[in-house]
Amino acid sequence: MSTRALSLTPRQRRAFGLLVAGEIKIAIRRPVGLLVAVGIPFALLVIFGSIPATTRPLSALGGISFFNLYVPTLMVFVLIAVGLTGLPQQLSGYRQQGVLRRMSTTPVAPSWLLAAQTTVSLILAVIGIGILLGAGAGAYGLALPHDVGGDFVSLVALVLTAAATIGLGLLVAAVAKSPQIASALTALFFYPLAFFSGLYVPLQEIHSQLITDIAKGLPTGAGFNALHAAFTGHSPGVLPFLVLAGWIIVSSLAAARLFRWE
Amino acid sequence: MSVSFKYIEKDRTGMSIQELVQRDTRASVSSNGSAPPVIEIAHLRKEYGTTVAVDDVSFAVHRGEIFGILGRNGAGKTTTVECITGLRRPDRGEISVFGLDPRRDRHELHERVGVQLQDSALPDLLRVREAVELYASFYREPADGRELIATLGLQDAEHMYFKHLSGGQKQRLSIVLALIGQPEIAVLDELTTGLDPEARRDTWRLIEGVRARGVTIVLVTHFMEEAERLCDRVALIDHGRMVALDRPGALALAATTSKRIRLTATEPFPDVLLSALPEVSAVEHHGPEVVVAGSGDLVTAVVLALHRAGIHAEDVQIETANLEDAFLALTDETTHGDTNGVTR
Repeated sequence: MSTRALSLTPRQRRAFGLLVAGEIKIAIRRPVGLLVAVGIPFALLVIFGSIPATTRPLSALGGISFFNLYVPTLMVFVLIAVGLTGLPQQLSGYRQQGVLRRMSTTPVAPSWLLAAQTTVSLILAVIGIGILLGAGAGAYGLALPHDVGGDFVSLVALVLTAAATIGLGLLVAAVAKSPQIASALTALFFYPLAFFSGLYVPLQEIHSQLITDIAKGLPTGAGFNALHAAFTGHSPGVLPFLVLAGWIIVSSLAAARLFRWE
Repeated sequence: MSVSFKYIEKDRTGMSIQELVQRDTRASVSSNGSAPPVIEIAHLRKEYGTTVAVDDVSFAVHRGEIFGILGRNGAGKTTTVECITGLRRPDRGEISVFGLDPRRDRHELHERVGVQLQDSALPDLLRVREAVELYASFYREPADGRELIATLGLQDAEHMYFKHLSGGQKQRLSIVLALIGQPEIAVLDELTTGLDPEARRDTWRLIEGVRARGVTIVLVTHFMEEAERLCDRVALIDHGRMVALDRPGALALAATTSKRIRLTATEPFPDVLLSALPEVSAVEHHGPEVVVAGSGDLVTAVVLALHRAGIHAEDVQIETANLEDAFLALTDETTHGDTNGVTR
């Protein structure tokens, strides 16, 4: 993809830029995605960051505060929101209304719209996570990874988790014939995935080996584990990254195979 | 052309094959000179599962003409233009547009052919100006978007969201987008469906304006009136097959097996008095009122025959055929022919 992006002519680059700009404008005009992916995590950050009890280190959580445990969860939540609310609904709507069909009669293929949507999702993710980290560290004493290694591991974990959730979003967009079906399907994924990122309750507090094992196999659990380890100065091992890579490969191959342009 | 022969052969009392061939040739020559056609389709066939959407359709479109593809809903018109514009792969047959293969040379084709298709839309929350600017960026040599917007009377809607546009405005925007790449051919599919009569007439004027800019137009429609008003030539498609190809006027004339005249006879007479005439194909008697169908110089023949028998004809009315009659006659005949295995 990146090599292809580099080989675009100036005219194609301009067309892609305008496509992305248009999708950004649309995202601002109907800010549901913005609210879910940026607003909700930020609100949760502010709430938990402001409660003294949640910012105190707890021995039950391995000596860190609930807040410090929760921020990686919120970052994963941003990525689920970006991949699964917005992207599939928008794309299946575009297909249902004939937006993709309209584009398929121009010199620019409708797959560009897919790429533009994905780009917008990534921009949203950067904004959402950037706000979490900026506000968390700036205003609420969030402990960031201790060293460059931790930063790097976090970055890789975020990128892979984003790729996995966007892959799942594209898979939903591939099979859903309408935005309504897309919403129903994403709801099916969304809540379990959010649960295994620790959104509702930290998984460490459940003390269930089964829950922990399931979490390890899911993209959100794996993403959280990698981030949590990096943020607390531990090594996440290779398992979370292998799990994420597996999800990326399966979901994007299935999406590419099943996607219909009309 | 071969298909119009097919029809003529079946035409018992209508025009001779020679007459029609001359007609067809004249029409082509007047519209294209000697230049090669811009679109050539030969024996196109497309199936969806077990349904045959298009079967053995062949025609050529010449530069500068408005070519109509006319037929009922579901006749195979849209499938035909989808094949022309490279959106679908034909199961059989050949298509060449400017000598390009619509599937293989899709990219180049789309630079030169502007398309407005049914069931296609823009994002709800995109503004008219943004959409035009975006689509302009897709093409090598785009037209001036602002000028096109003004030409199509959309300047007041420039800042409106797509979803807030009226049906007529959406159609005009789709014409703007079909023309934004300065195409040599514009394919316009069911452009006026769902518009009120006034907006439809406005759209017709616009299409004539587009042709005046030198753009060849392929117009898909199920409105006879539209085809009659706009098209230089019309391909009539029914159940996936092309049943006729000619100028709309010629089709109308040739298709009705006869002209019809109504008259009131001053005295009763046996039908054979008129049905024996070579010009007459059918006679209906309702008391003094008589309806005679036939061809050629029907009025003179009928009135003279009655006069010779000492009968006076009053209130003579001549019913002229239009494309709608042609359409009904041709498509009915095809259906009939198919069931009897006559057409092949």
